[in-house]
Amino acid sequence: MNKSRKKLSFRTMWKIHGLIFASPFIIGFVAFFLVPLVQTIYYSLNKVGVADQGGMSFEWNGIQNYIDLFRTEVTTGNQTMIRLFTEENLTMLISLPMIVVFSLFMALLANQKFRGRAVVRLLFFLPIILGIDVVIDMLAVTAGNTSLDTGSNLLAGSYVTIFLVRTLNVPMRILYPIMTYVENIFELISQAGVQTLVYLTALQSISPSLYEVAKMEGATAYETFWKVTIPSIMNITFFVVIYTIVDLFLKSSIAEEAYAFAFSQGKIGVGSALSVVYILNVILVLAVAALLLRKVVKKNEK
Amino acid sequence: MKNKQCSKVDASLAIYLFRNKSKQTSVKVLSLVLILGLCFTILYPILSLVPVVFSSVEDLGNPNVIWIPQEFSTVSFKMATRLVMPQGIMSMLKSVLYAAFIMVLQVFFSAMVGYSLARVKFWGRGVVFGMVILVFLLPRQSLLLAQYISFVHFDVLGIMDLFTAAGEINLINNPIVLVLLAVFGFGVNQSLFIFLFSQFFKNIPKELEEASLIDGCGFYKTYFRIMLPNAIPIISTVGILSFVWNYGDTYYTNYFNPNGEYMSTLLSSTFVSANKEFILNALTNWYDVPVTSDMAFDAVKQAGVLIFLIPLLIVYLIGQRRLVENMENSGLVG
Repeated sequence: MNKSRKKLSFRTMWKIHGLIFASPFIIGFVAFFLVPLVQTIYYSLNKVGVADQGGMSFEWNGIQNYIDLFRTEVTTGNQTMIRLFTEENLTMLISLPMIVVFSLFMALLANQKFRGRAVVRLLFFLPIILGIDVVIDMLAVTAGNTSLDTGSNLLAGSYVTIFLVRTLNVPMRILYPIMTYVENIFELISQAGVQTLVYLTALQSISPSLYEVAKMEGATAYETFWKVTIPSIMNITFFVVIYTIVDLFLKSSIAEEAYAFAFSQGKIGVGSALSVVYILNVILVLAVAALLLRKVVKKNEK
Repeated sequence: MKNKQCSKVDASLAIYLFRNKSKQTSVKVLSLVLILGLCFTILYPILSLVPVVFSSVEDLGNPNVIWIPQEFSTVSFKMATRLVMPQGIMSMLKSVLYAAFIMVLQVFFSAMVGYSLARVKFWGRGVVFGMVILVFLLPRQSLLLAQYISFVHFDVLGIMDLFTAAGEINLINNPIVLVLLAVFGFGVNQSLFIFLFSQFFKNIPKELEEASLIDGCGFYKTYFRIMLPNAIPIISTVGILSFVWNYGDTYYTNYFNPNGEYMSTLLSSTFVSANKEFILNALTNWYDVPVTSDMAFDAVKQAGVLIFLIPLLIVYLIGQRRLVENMENSGLVG
């Protein structure tokens, strides 16, 4: 009797200790997430002003802020809100598959066995550092001097291009979009640092015996890639896609717009409405991506 | 007759082997070319900075100069040092120490939360785990306004009434905000760190814990003596990422501590195009440069980036070798 009670209290104590360990995050969640979230929604439904005795005054406004946001308000760059959102989502749609595929590609290359692998890996993960926003911003050129360009106008003036245009008569209309992508390759690489790292570790954790079996059964390298490698890293692809989406949203300029609305123009309500719409947008994109991926992952697990 | 057949087989075998080998070699060469190309692309922006930064300002527009400057000069470098590091080397030290301090806080508290999420079945663990994921998914900017306002009128359950007349204090521009955020799990990407830690601790064998319990260790002793030393790989991974991201962070520092003189914020606030005239004039006045152009502005800016990158590169060079090995042990995969 006594013994069991003691055991129970030990378990309970263990749980209490665990709760104490987790408590900083729980407190933080309430203070820095839940309360701000509720406040943001509240502000967005009110006309927020400055009260006479200091502090803030609220006047119920319904969804007027949201209507204003899309009807009359413009961004600091004089765009309408709807265009800002379309642009951000379009960039996301284009960049996401490119970043994911590209990081897998880099990881596959880095996973091969060759001399000087250590040096190559050292360089391949450099984008973790070079991808920091400040560095990217600062590397960009304001004066329009080609010799300073990060995007490297190497291709535009190179012999390859001249050869394609002059000798093969490839029309500029087709060549131009490809050229822009190639020239922005550094931007692409700089966003793929962490993803490459994750993919590389996933590739290394695939059991070598799987490859051995495939070889014994006479599978070609192509078949091995699609039947062994891809299904094995499908789970991690889920993580990589979600991480990339979150990372891309982090770089968006919505924060500056909301800040500008609230503190330069004194429209806290509109700024909050913008934040709420933004949250909904993020949730929507993530939900669609998760649903689509779920299906692909399940299909590959069979 | 038999001999002839034999030589025929030999020939076809030789052809087969040759084909196989040439295929392998060509694949190898192709991948090597790709790897070299990618390495070049990654390095190019940094490499192309060097001649710009170290050539004399007059040389910048010169079409004859591409890689090797005609006259070696450190004017743009000096200029950038003066702008980005107003207190000399102390500025850099301050930024590095700030990032290191926040890194320690982030690692310490994320590890605690991660451990209890992975190992202790306390009440509402699933909910807390969901909270971590939710925080990771929603971009931090979306709550900026409300967070900002709550820091301007900072007041915990009305206790500030006891200290100040207004019943609240303004915490904006107080570095304490950044410390608070890191302690309570809301620093740069901290929910990701918590997630990584919990994935790691899930994979540590249970026997370790049991053994230490039988030897008479309590909860805290088990954690600090047994679990933390075993978590060195993930601690170093998270530590590197946290240091890099905190050192380069402009979001938290810019909004919550704009006067803090961190190198990252100084860099991004000094080199805006509105400041171009000022910087070009300063270049003429301080260093007797007769002619300045927009390119001089870029050169100074990029010298600033180079200075900014030095501590990061050092940390990266020391830490990267372990990064891959450690990620493998992190439990994220598999």
